[in-house]
Amino acid sequence: MLNVLMLGVGQCGNRILDAVNREAFGASSKLSKYYSRQKFPSRVETLAINTAVNDLKELKFTVAKDRLHVPNLHGVGANRNVGKQGFWDNRDMIMEEVEKRGDFDIAFVMTSASGGTGSSFAPLLIHELKEQYKNISVVAVVVLPFREEGSLYLQNAAFSMRDIMEVEADGVILVDNQYLKRLSGDIQTAYDKINNMVAERILFLIESLDSEMLSVTDLGDFKTVMRGGLGMGTIGFYQADKKTASLTSAIQNSLKPGALLYPANAYEDGARAMIIIQGSKEHLDVDEITKSVEKLSTNIGQVFKGIVIKKGWPRVLTVFTLEQVPDLELLYSQAAQAIQEEKGRKSRAKKQLDDAFAYIEDLEEVY
Amino acid sequence: MWLIYLVILALLIPPALAGSDDDDDELVTQEFALRVGHGVKIGDYRVELISVQSVRDGLIEVRVWKRISDVEEWRVVQEHRESNFDGGSERGGITLNVIEIFDEESVSIAAEYREDYGFPRSYITERGKAPKNYPQLEVVKSVDRSDISVGDEVTVTIKVENTGNDTASDVAIFESPPMSQFRYLSGYPPKIKNELRPGESDFAVYTIVAETESEVEVPVVVINYVDDEQNMYTASSGTFDIAIRSKRKPELDLRVDQVSSIKHGGLGFVNVTVLNRGDASAYRIEIHGDISPSDGGIEVVGGGLDKSFFDIPPQKSETYSATVKGTRSGSYLITLKVDYEDEDEIVMQKEASVQAVVLEREYKYLYYVPIIPALVIAVWIFRRYKEYKY
Repeated sequence: MLNVLMLGVGQCGNRILDAVNREAFGASSKLSKYYSRQKFPSRVETLAINTAVNDLKELKFTVAKDRLHVPNLHGVGANRNVGKQGFWDNRDMIMEEVEKRGDFDIAFVMTSASGGTGSSFAPLLIHELKEQYKNISVVAVVVLPFREEGSLYLQNAAFSMRDIMEVEADGVILVDNQYLKRLSGDIQTAYDKINNMVAERILFLIESLDSEMLSVTDLGDFKTVMRGGLGMGTIGFYQADKKTASLTSAIQNSLKPGALLYPANAYEDGARAMIIIQGSKEHLDVDEITKSVEKLSTNIGQVFKGIVIKKGWPRVLTVFTLEQVPDLELLYSQAAQAIQEEKGRKSRAKKQLDDAFAYIEDLEEVY
Repeated sequence: MWLIYLVILALLIPPALAGSDDDDDELVTQEFALRVGHGVKIGDYRVELISVQSVRDGLIEVRVWKRISDVEEWRVVQEHRESNFDGGSERGGITLNVIEIFDEESVSIAAEYREDYGFPRSYITERGKAPKNYPQLEVVKSVDRSDISVGDEVTVTIKVENTGNDTASDVAIFESPPMSQFRYLSGYPPKIKNELRPGESDFAVYTIVAETESEVEVPVVVINYVDDEQNMYTASSGTFDIAIRSKRKPELDLRVDQVSSIKHGGLGFVNVTVLNRGDASAYRIEIHGDISPSDGGIEVVGGGLDKSFFDIPPQKSETYSATVKGTRSGSYLITLKVDYEDEDEIVMQKEASVQAVVLEREYKYLYYVPIIPALVIAVWIFRRYKEYKY
């Protein structure tokens, strides 16, 4: 059985973690926590970390003892420097809380790249985890912001991503809010849907890695996949139904842009991939699986496949890393532009202030 | 001086001489009434009635005496015959004639005497002032009870007491003929002493049994007796009424206290009181209890509904209790019958009943069936709430 640690850092990370906990109840009802028990596929320990206590209070499906408030801060105001300082000030307390939860095989650090607490805490936390647990795989689940959310968020995302790569996370699973804007409904519903999608896929992944597969894919394979290419990847998922019962189309659909968390072309940009197929025995045709995997292997260097026999229509999860991330470059260019603009605004403001102060430079208060 | 004495003497002597020469005085007759012990003054004469010797024979005893002289005569005089005392009226004495003897105590007498003696004046003699000795019997007839019913024994007491100051002799008691409403048991006719000295009393007792329900006027009892002088006296008791009521009999009242609702499987108590409201004792009292319907829904588990008592005096009661157990729900009638006898062994019967209800079985512990899961769920939810409350 896998020992999994899931850390949700910052408001976004907390909510994804809460969605994971909600998903573990196996029911969508808000009251499910009162009458049901969480059914994690492995031993999963969760911990929501935040500097804003209100964000922690909003969580519904995470038990109180799994909510860690970093004291003396009421959010960091999207300022990563404040956040970093806050982490170092409370590092021991945070790591002690993590250590209470035992040893782990893999840790998922879920965070937004743009926020304050998440973007500043996550790289440092990944670093500390890798220091503390030598053999652990730490995978970051990073949510990129809406591009129009603001210059501070963009620059936070840019620097946070760089920091995460620098601390050598064992992989980064990208989730792009911008890409997921196509989800209908109000902003709250959209956020909930994104969070639920992420939660569902991660739990499916863990369940699959911890299951007895016909064609073995395990944690080692997952690590290999995540180390491929840039070390960044994303997850695709598709659940067939009565109308689309074809396994081939299900595999293909799981790689289509609509099924991915981040806009990527697996066939063109994929470095390594893992396909996990779950379904009833009668739906899992070997030829279909083989052909589909072969097609993917032709374009991507290495494709791991895992098959889990479980009653129901076929469900396909694909995890792949990318050799190139064009949208990321775009993000960084937008971030650089935003930084420049921010810098210009700040210098203009300072100049205006200085000009204003110049009027009273040689004067003194007279009463 | 001597002359003056002579003149005075000469003035005094003629009247004295004239007084001694009374042949020429007029005689008068005065009639007056006398009572024994009384007298009249006629000049220096005193006429006293000592006694009436015989009314029938017209004989009375008088005493005539003259003041400041030796004249004193005790004489029995006869009615309508003149009797001369101290020479009679013709000789300056007094002549008496008994005109009428009214009774043992009083007479009417005519006295003839010289006119100058004046009118007779009455007085009470020393003898009259002294109490006369004579017997006086008082008779009281009484019964020992006022509340008399048929069959009751009544003791009649006749008490005779001599309240006079002389001995009563030849005392004879005359009780009326037996009263028809009574049966005479013993002591009848009553007898008392033949002679009763002053202050002495005697009584006679006899026993009768009331036999007929009625109002009876108890007749007087008459006592005849004589004194030393053979004067006959009569005394009698007063009359009084006696009500003879109907024969006493027992009357039992059977009271059963209300039986409170009996729980299924629970106990109830039947409290029975037997009260003798009659005026005679009840004997051989037998109480028998019965429960209907007799399906065993109520079982007697203690005490018992049946009971017997040897006797219950009037206005007394006996109480007993039975414990019953309700084994089947329903309404039951507990009936108690009492048989008893009076002293003549006449059997009487009374009956009383009371309703007893056995309640439906309570399934109170069934409440726990929903309560316990609800509590468990509530505790579970609360724990979850606390677990997730941040």
